Amino acid sequence: MIEATDLQKSFDGVAGNKKQRVMAVKSVSFQARDGQITGLLGPNGAGKSTTLRMLATLLAPEQGDAIIDGYSIKTDVLAVRSHLGFMPHNAGIYPRLTTRENIRYYARLCGIDAKTANQRVDELIHRLTMESFADRRTAGFSQGQKTKVALARALVHRPQTILLDEPTNGLDVMATRGLRKIIRQLADDGHCVVFSSHIMQEVAALCDEIAIISDGTISMSGSLDDLLHKTQQRELEDAFVVAIGGEL
Amino acid sequence: MSVLILLWKEIIDNLRDRQTVFYALLFGPVLLPLCIGGALVAGLKQAAVSFDEPAALAVAYAERAPNLMEFLKANNMDIELAPDDIQASVRQGDVPVVLEVPEDFASALRAGQPAPLIVHVNDSDKHSAKEARKVSTLLNVYGQTLNALRMQHRGINPSVFNSVDITLQDVSSNGFRGQLLASLLPFLLIVAMVMGGFYLAIDTTAGERERESLEPLLSLPLARHKLVLGKYLAVLVFVMLSSVLTAISVFLVFRFFSPELAGGELSFDAQTIFTAWLLASPLTFFISAVLMSVAAATKSSKEAQTYLGLLMVFPMAPFFILQFVQIRSVNTTMALPMLSQYQLLEQVVLQDALSPTHIALSVIGTLLAACLLLFGAVRLYSRERFL
Repeated sequence: MIEATDLQKSFDGVAGNKKQRVMAVKSVSFQARDGQITGLLGPNGAGKSTTLRMLATLLAPEQGDAIIDGYSIKTDVLAVRSHLGFMPHNAGIYPRLTTRENIRYYARLCGIDAKTANQRVDELIHRLTMESFADRRTAGFSQGQKTKVALARALVHRPQTILLDEPTNGLDVMATRGLRKIIRQLADDGHCVVFSSHIMQEVAALCDEIAIISDGTISMSGSLDDLLHKTQQRELEDAFVVAIGGEL
Repeated sequence: MSVLILLWKEIIDNLRDRQTVFYALLFGPVLLPLCIGGALVAGLKQAAVSFDEPAALAVAYAERAPNLMEFLKANNMDIELAPDDIQASVRQGDVPVVLEVPEDFASALRAGQPAPLIVHVNDSDKHSAKEARKVSTLLNVYGQTLNALRMQHRGINPSVFNSVDITLQDVSSNGFRGQLLASLLPFLLIVAMVMGGFYLAIDTTAGERERESLEPLLSLPLARHKLVLGKYLAVLVFVMLSSVLTAISVFLVFRFFSPELAGGELSFDAQTIFTAWLLASPLTFFISAVLMSVAAATKSSKEAQTYLGLLMVFPMAPFFILQFVQIRSVNTTMALPMLSQYQLLEQVVLQDALSPTHIALSVIGTLLAACLLLFGAVRLYSRERFL
């Protein structure tokens, strides 16, 4: 469960020759409930990744707060992290370690004992159908294989809340369908899943709740039907354009 | 526990990296001592003349000077028959030098005239030139003995001709060569330490950022100081391993080297090397901390390599400075990492007495600097910009 209220974050940027503060996230508030998939939908540069990084406690918000499973991302950083599985938009796995070693490393770092860690790794390898490349070093893996390893790694400490930053990036059709199934299953198991994307069909096909983010603010949120109703449109894409203030 | 897991992962991960293994375990500890130490030792050995070791000398017409041959034999020279074509064989290096006794040697000697002797040498060949120096020295001694006998025969005291008597007294316990060789040990150890941790430090910080594996790692329920400590220990393990291997290979290289060649009391035996390594070991903590904090301060592997490459000058600086400038071992310089180890290790190799105060200052100063740098690295890891 995530309750984000008025999150704000800016960075130093360069405009021409001058240094300038760039507002990456102006004000983001949304809710993501357990057992649901919440999609953070927005164009490139809208602030999706920055929002997820704040939720993952990698960046501290300048304003606002988010409560994840009862813990504040500002004050209970370690507690938030232990309830959170975060998969950044690049898999970021270790190429010289095998699939199994990659997952086990994170399990052990999260304080899981060796025996349990091995059990969970086996479990995840089976669940994400990674048997064929479980003991291969990950250098040279396909994007789909890398994503699976990264996802397994994010799930190994059984977090209640799961943050996925553009998880289907670079995946082919079959891999994307496979991943969707896994994400659906996670929500059905009672997890709170938040994933960011700029692909309309994907969000429409998968999400129970959609938060449209544009220019650092949540411009509209609700279920797919809510959004279509609010914008008087029949397609999510059109609803999206209306929501971010564009012209059809 | 998580620190050990980090440590173990980094070691396994980097042992699978050829570049790291090459630089940490082969380049610094084996290739460098062999190239630099080996070349220096071989050079000194080639230049130094030993009168104690028996050596062969090719002589043409040895039968014309039986007394001279007896003298040479008494001075560890084995007389051999010279090849037929003297000049060609010396030029080709078949024999280093040939001593030729001309036909009129015996008659000139009897007549009290200067008796001719010819040494055939190839001066462009180091070995030949060295042998020629040795032979000339022996022949001079023989000549002086004959001179003395001739004068005594004529009732003159030979010392009349020695108008000055020069004695060179070297007050240093070592000569220039000794100094150079002595500073070679700290040089090799320190360079090996830096090389040992170089790629690991880059890989575990800047490299991790470049592979984009840092973000998920930092989102784990793990305190930053533990993360830094785990990575630091991994670097430390490689730096230590590198230094131990270097100590062993320096020991092996210098076993082929007799200390009197350096003109001083130089020692490279097992005990000396072990003491030197022990005195240098606080540097492993310091160098690992330097590598960690520099790598953490940079944005990419390339940037880290540039800065750390420049940093490589520092371990070499004392080596070159101490060749030109005599820095006296005072308490203030002894608190400085690198410089103090250079001085202490030189003293160990030269078998000078070590001051316990100096050792204490060196250890404390170096470890303190390591702690400060490590603290700096933790601060860098805690910055948001670190991502």
